Amino acid sequence: MYGWIWRHLPGNTWVKALISLVLVLAVVFVLFQYVFPWAEPLLPFNDVTVDEGMAAVR
Amino acid sequence: MMLRGRTTVRWIVRTLSEICVTGGALIVLFVIYVLFWTGVRADSAMDGEIGKLQHQWSTGPLTAPDAKPAPGDGPTPSAPPRRYEPGASFAVMYIPRFGADWAKPVLEGTATDVLKRGLGHYDRTARLGDLGNFSVAGHRRTYGDPFKDFPQLRPGDAVVLTDGTTWFTYRIDNRPYTTLPGDIGVIDPVPRKSGFNGPGRYLTLTTCEPEWGHSHRLIAWAHLDSTQPVAQGRPSALTG
Repeated sequence: MYGWIWRHLPGNTWVKALISLVLVLAVVFVLFQYVFPWAEPLLPFNDVTVDEGMAAVR
Repeated sequence: MMLRGRTTVRWIVRTLSEICVTGGALIVLFVIYVLFWTGVRADSAMDGEIGKLQHQWSTGPLTAPDAKPAPGDGPTPSAPPRRYEPGASFAVMYIPRFGADWAKPVLEGTATDVLKRGLGHYDRTARLGDLGNFSVAGHRRTYGDPFKDFPQLRPGDAVVLTDGTTWFTYRIDNRPYTTLPGDIGVIDPVPRKSGFNGPGRYLTLTTCEPEWGHSHRLIAWAHLDSTQPVAQGRPSALTG
């Protein structure tokens, strides 16, 4: 998978490395901005109330 | 034939390793997000809420959409319960036991997105300083760990709140009490099992128990000990 991506990036090694870095940062950004905020409430740390009404709403 | 078989094996092994490495990296990133990044975001959100409140309180007269009752008497029975604006901060809480610089905003409501920005006031419970039970929930872990030191609360500890006009000093009455998640009696106007046996001006704090779990809740009760106008300066519980 990673080898395939590397072979399909344009340019010489330095350009490929730069594009790879940008790709990695983009993936991390999407994870922190969208994926993890969605996944985090599924973990138990959010349940701090005694009325489960709010938990049922969300 | 032999060569092709080895190539296939190599491809399978390489793909499996890549999946494992990717999964591992995902887990590490997620742990960083939960333990570190939610705290960074929550701290800045809470500082923002406190700054907003202080700015609001320092500029102009307090916008009083709901006039405060004269101190000392309870709300008139006929008056409908006055609500805070949902999702907005309306008070700042100080608990010296958690550190001299521990100050968190209190927001209306206990929805997930509200608790990311501060402590949440159960919207069905009494208003700050009113007759009844002013109940507040907060994260114990993640999102800035506001109630991390909850188990260290002891009877007599001060919980000080201000709404911009008045300082309210509550005193804790029990060591943290462990209960089940559905036990809504703990935020009743006269909380069950709290030892309070008549109407009064109470405060309840709730958070999760165990620290990283959600099987139980940790509860602390307090009663209103004293109030003083903001003009008289910070209460002795904070300065002493």
